[in-house]
Amino acid sequence: MEIKSADLALSGLTKTYGHSLAVDNVTVRIGTGEMVALLGPSGCGKTTTLRMIAGLIEPSGGDILIGGRSIVNVPVHKRNIGMLFQSYALFPHLSVGQNVAFGLEMRGVRKAEAARRVTDALTLVQLDHLAERLPTALSGGQQQRVALARALVIEPSVMLLDEPLGALDKSLRESMQVELRQLQQRLGITTVIVTHDQEEALTLADRIVIMRAGKLEQIGTPQEIYSRPVSRFVAGFIGASNFLRGHVAGSDGGTTLVALQGGARVTVPTQAGASGEVMVALRPEAIQVQPFAGQNDAAPNTTQATIEQIIYRGSLTHLYLRLDDGAPLLAFHQNRAGERAPAELSPGGRVVARWTEENNHLVADR
Amino acid sequence: MGGRLSGGTAWLVYGITACVMVFVMAPLLVAISISFSAAPFASFPPQGFTFDWYRQVLVDPDFIDAFSFSIGLALASTVTSVALGLPAALALQRSNIPAASVMQGVLLSPLIFPVLITGLALLQFYSAANMQQAVVNLYIGHTLVTLPYVVRTVTASLQLVDRSLEEAARTLGADRWRTFRRVTIPQIAPGVAAGALFAFMVSLDNYPISMWLSDARAVPLPILLFQRMSSVFDPSIAAMASLMILVGAAAVVVLERLVGLRRAMGI
Repeated sequence: MEIKSADLALSGLTKTYGHSLAVDNVTVRIGTGEMVALLGPSGCGKTTTLRMIAGLIEPSGGDILIGGRSIVNVPVHKRNIGMLFQSYALFPHLSVGQNVAFGLEMRGVRKAEAARRVTDALTLVQLDHLAERLPTALSGGQQQRVALARALVIEPSVMLLDEPLGALDKSLRESMQVELRQLQQRLGITTVIVTHDQEEALTLADRIVIMRAGKLEQIGTPQEIYSRPVSRFVAGFIGASNFLRGHVAGSDGGTTLVALQGGARVTVPTQAGASGEVMVALRPEAIQVQPFAGQNDAAPNTTQATIEQIIYRGSLTHLYLRLDDGAPLLAFHQNRAGERAPAELSPGGRVVARWTEENNHLVADR
Repeated sequence: MGGRLSGGTAWLVYGITACVMVFVMAPLLVAISISFSAAPFASFPPQGFTFDWYRQVLVDPDFIDAFSFSIGLALASTVTSVALGLPAALALQRSNIPAASVMQGVLLSPLIFPVLITGLALLQFYSAANMQQAVVNLYIGHTLVTLPYVVRTVTASLQLVDRSLEEAARTLGADRWRTFRRVTIPQIAPGVAAGALFAFMVSLDNYPISMWLSDARAVPLPILLFQRMSSVFDPSIAAMASLMILVGAAAVVVLERLVGLRRAMGI
């Protein structure tokens, strides 16, 4: 199957309901063949944005361009968009094959050619042997693959996925994510997926758009979003993070020194505009925890702490620490085969937590 | 819902169900058995066995007129109710019309008002409007009381249709009309059929509206039955009643074959 995909641009896209802004001036360019995830908590406007691209909701302002052409005045059925729904939305009165053929029939494709393309599309999702079945006779994963074949067979310019795997259980969801990603890359189809599942966004997307209260909070590759979140919100939404409050105590070329409220000091790669009160984000897996050996270490990016709780989580051990000023600190210890967290680490024990400068990252406190 | 009841609860539920069935079915069986009675007056238990009453009824011109008039009236008001009720339910359920719930209340109100009073009000209205065509008046009156059944069942089945089915159809290239025809209609067909069946049956055995609006030439079957009962109460009346029961049962069977009534009733 060959799909001529196109790039997608949202320009100042806005949707108001009465006085409330559901989507507020969202501008994103999505390249041809790129997969972008709209990620955020429920009510952040991600689904409204997707439905505006599909044409199911009319924007209050802004523009949507596919292949450089504005489509805001094009009705849904002429937008040539493939959409997947969380409920699969298969027509229950039609067989699997008839479901997949629906879009072709609407386009007036001749019977013989339609039959060939339906078989091709079902082969693509490995369900060609189930064409005669009714959708209700299939499992959830199979139903969503039929929906995928039905969306792909019309060779859409853009694919829109609305929490497509939300109704599947965890292991099936993970294998479907891999399958979906492979297919999307192989066909080179421009795709937007809406999800509230950060892992799904990290697994599937070339770039992630974090949305919050209708606004675009940050756009970037999964690595950028994870390692350089712009705000406390983003850092907390993708993965776990510690937030250390302090103030800028000095700067030396590439490094800014931040004095934390509890007395410890951390160094941060200098970011433009950092001064006064700041917040440092620090990923728990960057922190190394060792038993306190007796001597005080005054070096930056080091602090003493007391272990409050230890939770074994399989591949990781979560260490809940408390700094001397009462601030919490979470550290992850990677469990390797045959190795356990050091026996000296037990609740109530004194420890030293250490990390390196490149793990510190200033974020906006919002 | 597929579970089986057991123990004391089961016996209680089966007992109540049996009682309900008896009270629903027994009067019908009484009427049907009397229709085969050889006695000259309707009495129970029936005496002897004969088809004479059916032979008599089926050549009785009054009965044939009333029967065919009732069937025609029921069909006409059913078709009209569906033609009006389907778009009304769609508008109530699928478009953001202002005061939809008020409108729905108005459309369903004939279900709440006593039908006898509705009939009297209609009679007064027709006479004030100088409408004297009994056939037309009956047709409007019957449509008025059958329409709510269609609106009700179609609205209910529209509520059950997953909106994303229609959205999926639209993204796949179907315009509004084709989405309605290819996706919405197949989903709500059982609901429409159930509404039509209710409408047909309500019209077929309606007495309180017809009582006010019929005249000497336009006589629906229930009116004829009542007139006969007040003169001679012989088993021919039971035979007429049995034929009405037969029509009702036939309507249920036909609809069951066409769209699956179990699905329509949500069983």
